[in-house]
Amino acid sequence: MTDEWVKIINNEKVNGKYYKLVFHSESLSEKVSPGQFVQILLNASLDPFLRRPFSYYRVRGSRIEILYEILGRGTALLAKKKKGDPLKMMGPLGRPFTQSLKAGKNRVLIAGGVGVPPLVFLAEKIPVDFLLIGTKSKDEILPKKELARVKAEVLYSTNDGSYGAKGYVTVLLRELLKKERPENLFIQTCGPAPMMQAVFNAARARGIEGEASIDKPMACGVGACLGCMVKTKTGWAASCTEGPVFRFDEMREWG
Amino acid sequence: MDLNLTIQIKNLTFRNPVTVASGTFGTSGEYAGFLDYEKLGAIIAKTITLRPRQGNSMPRICETSGGMLNAIGLQNKGLEDFIQKKIPYFAKINTPLIANIAGEKTGEFRELARALDQRKDVVKAIELNLSCPNIEEGGASFMRKRELIIEVMKAVRGETDLPVIAKLSPELGDVVAIAGEVIQAGADALSLINTLKGMAIDIERRKPRLANITGGLSGPAIKPVALRYVYEVKKAYKVPVIASGGIMTASDALEFLIAGADLVAVGTANFVNPRATIDILDGIVDYCRKNKIKHIDELRGSLKVERNEK
Ligand SMILES: Cc1cc2nc3c(=O)[nH]c(=O)nc-3n(C[C@H](O)[C@H](O)[C@H](O)COP(=O)(O)OP(=O)(O)OC[C@H]3O[C@@H](n4cnc5c(N)ncnc54)[C@H](O)[C@@H]3O)c2cc1C
Ligand SMILES: Cc1cc2nc3c(=O)[nH]c(=O)nc-3n(C[C@H](O)[C@H](O)[C@H](O)COP(=O)(O)O)c2cc1C
Ligand code: FES
Repeated sequence: MTDEWVKIINNEKVNGKYYKLVFHSESLSEKVSPGQFVQILLNASLDPFLRRPFSYYRVRGSRIEILYEILGRGTALLAKKKKGDPLKMMGPLGRPFTQSLKAGKNRVLIAGGVGVPPLVFLAEKIPVDFLLIGTKSKDEILPKKELARVKAEVLYSTNDGSYGAKGYVTVLLRELLKKERPENLFIQTCGPAPMMQAVFNAARARGIEGEASIDKPMACGVGACLGCMVKTKTGWAASCTEGPVFRFDEMREWG
Repeated sequence: MDLNLTIQIKNLTFRNPVTVASGTFGTSGEYAGFLDYEKLGAIIAKTITLRPRQGNSMPRICETSGGMLNAIGLQNKGLEDFIQKKIPYFAKINTPLIANIAGEKTGEFRELARALDQRKDVVKAIELNLSCPNIEEGGASFMRKRELIIEVMKAVRGETDLPVIAKLSPELGDVVAIAGEVIQAGADALSLINTLKGMAIDIERRKPRLANITGGLSGPAIKPVALRYVYEVKKAYKVPVIASGGIMTASDALEFLIAGADLVAVGTANFVNPRATIDILDGIVDYCRKNKIKHIDELRGSLKVERNEK
């Protein structure tokens, strides 16, 4: 774990939804697994006051990429940062996605919104059978070159039907469930809470194993403030250290 | 140049004035990857209660201008876990551990103090959380009664000769008057201040941002209030004070020292900068060197007030 100032190499819009931030760091790129995240301090002036958590999107050597969307003041400020600007990064933090599975399991990744980056990272790292991505419309589809290293079958759904299947990403999941045996599937999901809740419920109803990366507002990122709790079968768990990735069977209910 | 930063509370010596505020530094090694705990003057642990507490519903935290609100609700694993798991961790660290305790009844404070007194080998002082503003049942309303604060203070005093530190919040009422009463009741030192009760609203959903509706405000937003109370209490009584409230940088810490604080507790700043304590300590040392201060006593309470003083 380190906390250091880095210089932005690149910070540009990649499509109608996402921006991509690129920087170098030896220590922040060491032993990183998909699902882990960094806590970004936007500037030394304490405004915005708290750090913001962002998943690793891609790590190659010491080059690190973050893919983000503007959701509020902090991310709007981040999008205004220029090449050469400093950012303070703390990481790598959190428990990553499971990589090794029992033989015969088909891995299905289900992503939406801010959950797309960690799952694309996972799909670049290990063999994945399906990557299902839910978006609002065609201009939010990731450019082909962002998925060049992903070997999985990538399926999109758009709310307006302008690309791929029309509707929520669960439409794609339902199609998939018609063809695949539940016991052969392993689902890994990250995205908006209603999406993950639908996936979680569908999986639980059919006894499908899997994991969800659960976003909670965070302050410290290291398990000190107890602000980011997720309800598990054994009580509250800090999503920054015991998560953000939780197994479906660890969770008592959704959230 | 030799610089002496040591501070004394009762028979306990601290190597320097920088400590951490309860509930902001975890329960054992959360920040060990970022700094050497043996550089700190003391470590104040997260509040423990007699039995484990689940704490409040989510969301529990929210950012505000110059600070944050929290309604953690004193989530902790209880006394037994503290003795079994946390004390052994701190036993290996050569920095005084200050345990922080809370209860819903005087008897709970008494039991906690009695048990911790048995572990003097590691626990070097006890801080009483007399003011957590975000536990609805018991605690907060219980503590609103001033007589009960005094009763708790006396009960704990009866159980231990460890230094006892009473932590107060302006939420309790007249801090300076209450400070006088807890000193009378046997407090060896005071911690000023705990968080101030506040709230925030999501205008789109027209809902409070915290599940608990209200929470404790911390960070730079409360620093002027904290500074004022440290100054007023130090002016009124000869009592050691541990200051907390928005200490983010060395210059914040120096303000509190100049106002009279004996120790400075770094709280919310840890979340923003995991090395805040060390940066603050380094900054205090630099300031002393620059100003040819040889002993921290020369700095403490050195505020120059020229007007409006009776
Ligand atoms: C472990 C983790 C990994 C994340 N990875 C990414 C990522 O790779 N890319 C990315 O774009 N975003 C990611 N996020 C979300 C990101 O942290 C938030 O979008 C960001 O904090 C919002 O800050 P803001 O100041 O722009 O918005 P705020 O003003 O704080 O909030 C604006 C809006 O964002 C929502 N929001 C606030 N905090 C979060 C949060 N923690 N998670 C989701 N929504 C939130 C609020 O509900 C609100 O609607 C991640 C969050 C977590 C916890
Ligand atoms: C997330 C959080 C949890 C806290 N938990 C406790 C606690 O358990 N016991 C306690 O006495 N004070 C607790 N506090 C109060 C701090 O110890 C400190 O007194 C207060 O936050 C003011 O200092 P600051 O502005 O530097 O944070 C907590 C504060 C925060 C932000
Ligand atoms: S963010 Fe502080 S405990 Fe998780």
